[in-house]
Order: sequence, then C-alpha cells, then structure tokens
Amino acid sequence: MKKSLSKQDFLRFLDNLISDDTLDVFGVKAKGKRFVFAPLESSSELRLDYDVTILPPKKFFLPQYETLLKFDVSRNSVSHKLDGKTRVVVGVHPYDIVALQQMDKVYFNSYVDRFYKQRRENTIIIGSDILNVSDRSFAASMGTHVVSSGYDLLVTDLGDTVVVDVGSEKGRVLLEKHTSELRDVSEKEVKRVEELRAALPGKYKRSLKVEKERWREVLGNSYDHPLWKELSEKCLQCSSCTMVCPTCYCFDVKDEVSLNTVDGVRVRTWDGCLLPDFSKVASGEVFRKEKSERFRHRFYRKGLYLPERYGFVACVGCGRCAIACLPDIADPLDVINSLVERKSEAEGVLRFSIPESKAAAEETDYLPRNAVIKRMEKLTEMETLFELEMEDGEPLVYEPGQFVEVSVFGVGEAPISISSPPQKSSSFELVVRRAGNVTSRLHSMRVGDRVGIRGPFGRGFDVKALEGRNLIFVAGGIGMVPMRSLICYVLDDKKREDYGMVTVLYGSKTPQDVLFMDEIKEWEKKSDVTVKLTVDTCPEGVCWDGCVGLVTSLFPQVRWKDVENTVAVVVGPPVMYKFVIKCLHTMGVRDENIYVSLERRMKCGVGKCGHCQINGVYVCKEGPVFNYSEIKDLPEAFS
Amino acid sequence: MSKPRVAFFDFASCEGCELQVANLEEEVLDLIEIVDVVSFREVMKEHSDDYEIAFVEGSIMRPMDEERLKKIRSNAKVLVAFGACATIGGVNKIRNQWQPDEVLKEVYGDADLEGNEFFDVFKTKAVDEVVKVDYYIYGCPPPREEIKKVITSLVMGKKPDIPNYPVCVECKKNENVCLFELGKFCLGPITRAGCNAICPSNGRACDGCRGILSEPDTRCVEDILERYGLTYDELKHRFTMFNYGREEEK
Repeated sequence: MKKSLSKQDFLRFLDNLISDDTLDVFGVKAKGKRFVFAPLESSSELRLDYDVTILPPKKFFLPQYETLLKFDVSRNSVSHKLDGKTRVVVGVHPYDIVALQQMDKVYFNSYVDRFYKQRRENTIIIGSDILNVSDRSFAASMGTHVVSSGYDLLVTDLGDTVVVDVGSEKGRVLLEKHTSELRDVSEKEVKRVEELRAALPGKYKRSLKVEKERWREVLGNSYDHPLWKELSEKCLQCSSCTMVCPTCYCFDVKDEVSLNTVDGVRVRTWDGCLLPDFSKVASGEVFRKEKSERFRHRFYRKGLYLPERYGFVACVGCGRCAIACLPDIADPLDVINSLVERKSEAEGVLRFSIPESKAAAEETDYLPRNAVIKRMEKLTEMETLFELEMEDGEPLVYEPGQFVEVSVFGVGEAPISISSPPQKSSSFELVVRRAGNVTSRLHSMRVGDRVGIRGPFGRGFDVKALEGRNLIFVAGGIGMVPMRSLICYVLDDKKREDYGMVTVLYGSKTPQDVLFMDEIKEWEKKSDVTVKLTVDTCPEGVCWDGCVGLVTSLFPQVRWKDVENTVAVVVGPPVMYKFVIKCLHTMGVRDENIYVSLERRMKCGVGKCGHCQINGVYVCKEGPVFNYSEIKDLPEAFS
Repeated sequence: MSKPRVAFFDFASCEGCELQVANLEEEVLDLIEIVDVVSFREVMKEHSDDYEIAFVEGSIMRPMDEERLKKIRSNAKVLVAFGACATIGGVNKIRNQWQPDEVLKEVYGDADLEGNEFFDVFKTKAVDEVVKVDYYIYGCPPPREEIKKVITSLVMGKKPDIPNYPVCVECKKNENVCLFELGKFCLGPITRAGCNAICPSNGRACDGCRGILSEPDTRCVEDILERYGLTYDELKHRFTMFNYGREEEK
C-alpha cells in the first residue's frame, strides 16, 4: 500500500512522532561531514539526502554496550530488565534493511536471543530510498540498493512530496495515528519513485566483477591465495572494519563490579575477529594465530561460511569498512575482484558442510540458574572436581560430552565440560583446571557456595551410534574430563552389554597429573576393558608402573581385533589430535569411526558470539563433539 | 577478611594519576571500605612501610630513584605501575633524545650540580625497566574507571582485565568521525584502548599515552600518509609525545 504526503506534511508527521511521549524517535543526522543515526529533536534535523551513516542501525538491536544482567555477589542473585519503550528509526537505507533481515536469521535462529527479539519487536523501521550514493558503496552489485520488504514504512523523498510505502500493520497504524494528511499516491508519483530507483545503479562508481552468488565458489578455491598475506601485512588489526559492519555481530561478555565489590553488571559489547585475542582461551592458546588468518576469516565468514549456513552473502555492499580502513585493504569489492582477476594464483580448496546441531528452538536470555557446590575434591595440583546441584530442584539433563557455562558473578563465565555420566542422581560433576580468572576463583570456593549455570550446551557423544561397537578411548590430559562421562556411561552395568570391547589409552604429563586414578583402577579390573596409561615424564622418586612416552606410544602395545567394527573417541590438547588420528589410520580405523571433542573460546554457548568458529562451524552448537569426517577438511580444526 | 594494605608512591611525574584517585570524591569512601590506604603523600600525612599493594606513579630518572623503587618492590607483594610515566616512560622519555649532561646544561646552565644526588640523572626508564611489575594501569592520566577496576580486581583476587585492542575499537563504538578524515594523524589504530577513546571523541588525535600495541608495517604507514595527505613528521611528532624510542622501530 502506497500513500503520499507533501514534504511539509511528512515533516509534520515526524514532529508528531517526536512529540509523542510513548516513542523514542531516531533518525539520520549530520555529524560533521558524515552522518549518524541519533535521537531526533526536530524533523529539520533529518537528512534523507545522506550517503551512508558511520555506524549501521545494528546498534539499535545489538548495542555497543548492553547490560545482560545485574548481580549481587554477596547473595549470588541476578536480575535483568529488557527494553520496553517503542522506538522509531527513520531513514534506514535498503542495504541496512537487508542487513537487519540477515541479522534476524542469526539472532532468531535457535537459540533465539531474547534481548535482540525484544528490541526488534519494539522498533519501527522507517526505511528510505537512497538519494545519494556513497563513494565506496557497491550496493547495486549486491542487489541491496532497493528493497521490497523488511520495513514498516519506506519513504521516498521526491523533493516536493514524499511517497510512503506501508510495509506492515505496525507501520500503517503509526502513519495513520500521526498524520491525517495522507493522500492516495498518484500514478505520476509512483513513476517518479520507479525512475529514481532505476537510475540508482548507474550512480555507483564501483561494481563487482562477479555476481554475489559466486562468492562461495571464488572463495572456496582461494583459501591459500597469496592475496591474504599480501593484504594482511598492511592490516593494523584495529577491527574498525568489523565495528562499522552491519553484518558483523560478534560480541564479548564481561562482568563489571562496583567499587564496593558487591554489585555489578554483566555487559555484552561488540568484539571483532581481527583482534589478536579474539580466539584466545584462558590457557593462553590462540586458535587463529596469524594476522593473515584473521584477515582472511572476515571475508570467508561473509562470503562462504554464512552463505553456507543461512543462504545469504553477509555483505550488503554499504562500503563502510572501505571508508573506515585506514590502509584501505578491507573493501570486499576490491578483495573479491582481485581474487577474480588473479584467479591463476588461486590455491587451497575449502569445501565444507555444516554438521547437524541439536540446539532446540528455544529462547535464551543468558540468565544462569543457581547451583550449589555439594562436594569438592582436589584431583591434582591444577584440577578440582566439583559436584553441583541445581538450586531450583530441577536436575540438569545432559548427554556425555556436553558442556555448561559456569558463572562466578563479578568474575565472569567459562565453558566447562561435564564429567559425570548422565544417569547419575540429581547432581552433576565438573572438573575444573585452574587457568583464568573464573576457574581460579572456582578453586578458592567452598562447599555450600553457589555458582551460576547455563546449559547444557552443544552436541555430545552419539551414544546410539556407538552401540554394538568396540570402543577405543584416547585421552590426553584433561581430555579425560568429558571422556570420563562417556566411559562411565558405557561401563555402567545397565548399558555395558550394548557395547563391545573397551580400550582406554590415557596420557598425562606426570603421574601426579593422572585424573580419576581410583576409577581407572576399577576399570582395569574388568575383563572386557583394557587400560594403558602413559606419562610424558616421571619425576625421580615418584612411583609409576605405567609407560613413559606420548599417548601414541601406547598403540603398539594393544592387540587390535575387529578394527572394522571399532569406534575411536579422541579428546586431548590441540597438538595431540593429528598424531593420534595418524595412529588410528594406521590401525585401519576409518574417518567416520573417529569422534573428537574440541576446545575453543566460547562466550555465549548458543552460536552467536562468534568466538568458537572453526572456519564456518560453531564448536558450541555443532560441537564440541564431532565425527572426524565432518571436520577433517576444515583447515582450522587441527592446525 | 582483612583489607589489603595499599600504598601510593610517586617518582618523576606530575602526580596527576594520584590526583585521579583523590578525585574519586565520595567514592573514596567506598575505596577505603575495601582497602587500607597506609601511605599516600598527596592526600595524607601518615606513612607505613607495611603494605601489600604498591601503586607506583612516575618515571625512574636517577640512581636514588632506583634504590627507592627496589625497596618498594621488596616491601610489596603486588606492584602496580600507575600511569604513562610509570608504564611506558611517557613524556619523561622525550628527554632521551639527548644525553643527560646535555639536558642538565640546557636547563641549569652553569649551575654547580657536581655531587648533588638530586641532579644525578640517567636516561629515563619506565618502572618495569628497573623492577618486576605485576599489573599496569595505563594512561595520562589513567581513567578513574580503570583505576577502580584494577583495585576491585586485586581485592577480589582476579587478574585485571585491561584491553589488549586499539583505541579505534572504542572510537568506532562511539561513532566518531575518523580524525584521519579531518587531516589529523591519530595513534588510535595502534594504541591500547581502555580510555573510551576520550581524545578522539573530543576531536583530538590520540597521542598514544596508553602505549603502543603493535608495529604497523611500513608500507601500511606510507599508504595511510598518502591517502590522507599527511607527512612523516606529523607521525614522528605524535610518537615523541609519549612513546619516544618507539618510532625508530618504524
């Protein structure tokens, strides 16, 4: 439904919106020679002739800083509040509307982000046709210079009159409530709008050499193209490109405490994958170490990973990154065009599909449930076992291999693997290695103290797929933590007959670092279980009757039978995987019969924050347990 | 739980960092609820050498400073370098462009300084060039929010979370017009954030008072200078202010 207003009536309509106390009205305003979305105090401030704003309207839905919850450390209590007031955002260009539609796909995907959803529902988008094209934009090449949905109202400023396209019921109500001067649009006006739109593509100075549908193909064949290194050498790693991007929405979460050390807030803030610490975990491991890898990741996420996941190229051609990047190396148009021009130098094929995830279509508000520490047991110098019970009486329902996000309010949240088998009583067990702030604080806690728990998250071990199979468990270090959940599950009397022979190969740093020694001794006693232990080194004077050497040195000690029917489960430090998998291959174990569980930095646990990505795969959702065949071709999986 | 005992010390500096603590105003009451301040020359007369946490402001210029700093280090369990002069040398390192005797001559002319230990100076050092530093509070002066964050972190027994990314991140979040577009050479892209981009947000190019995070590639610098019509001298000038000794690496 199209209507029209005289320019003056349109401005009066805006002023009516502004004076309506139930609404917060934002619009495009000048800031120096640039433009920003900011609170409108008068319709005269609105600049529909703008080219592009410094930040996209994503800031209205995923703000730069936002409080997820408030906490009181002394009482371990949390509370949070969602935005309530209706907002109107005036002047959103088509490419930004497309970007919001893309963001909807991500934030409404399971788990639905309740903060985002609330803001989206509370916000009325008044789009605007582009009157002036930004120098660095290539929206026409991306087909995002015009839009036919995704707005509540869309205005086209024709100078003397403004044509309004009503895109939603919300938009219609707003329009009719705040102006009585609506006219039916004339044929001439419709034609003028069409002409304005038709003339737009010609105004773009820059265009892609390849249609956006082919970005996947171009990138899929260029993973090791020399361009990545060449360009990234000039990269300042400032992540300005991701900050200003309408389709970059990775975030970090931090606890901030007031000076009284009692109350504080958990804050979500924008993060950027170009920053060196983006993939850094508490132990210090950085999973995307090289600048060139981080630089490349941004383009692959836009042009290959998200297209694979959601079906759209996560670039709308707004050109903001090109403007923001000082050495001017961030422009996707330049990069894609260079890859096309320099096709002969292309190297490195990247093909992948996204493993299935079991994430339920539920909402999340990132609010943890309280759990009480029932028991603590120091296992080694660095690792302590915690038995926890949910305070609300509703036991945690989980599978072996899943993890939870543990909150210590005032310190933060950390992903921790569940170590107990699922059939165990109302409590569950975690083994925590002291590494960062959260885990160090956990170690100083006492029985009776409370922590926050979110989850369980991720895909655990497929216990059904293991049925009837001989099982080899290969664990290194704290890899035994999630592994123990599965081993106990399999060895449980009620389940034991569902599985074949069990072999456990377990490597630790020193004899003092072996986890669950008492339980391992129990496993050893069973006639259908073979256990082999090894340590990297055995300090003098320490009693040790196992082997000394890497976990791979245990393989020749086992007489393997019925390899065809054998499934291997491997969990350990990143460096361990490729060597163990080589041993398994030598034995004749096929890729499909190997399962691994991988560690990455995780903040949200629900496939939103972006930190845990292995190329285009989310460890928090599709992992942490993977069938090896699903991820073996991902260069970032076992580097 | 007894409160940690905290002491503040200053070396070559303007004492503005300590003033930031004094300027917490009514929040000082919250501060002394969580720590015992046992020495703080700027705001109190009492002094004790019995402290766990030492905040050290200022640069180290003389043998007598070194001696005093080492004593502070041995008294404290935790030593925090406090402010630009302490963390990176800051403006005091501008003087390192010349030899110490040239500087004395320039400032004091023919005055007889022989044997006067107050004027026995060497090249400016940051605190960690003399003793081990456990934590750093950056900036000239450090933001009060960051001072509070570090103190609460130490009291709560956690490692303070100081940004390891550049000012651009905060500047972009504040939606500023990039100062390069306004023809100014800004060190924001390579300077440690944590100041909420206070200078660029107020139209002033970043001087790098929180220290340089990464060394940009030379070709990148050339490209930037050319794109924005800037000169190498402007870059050098920016670096000299707080990071003298760093720009030679470029």
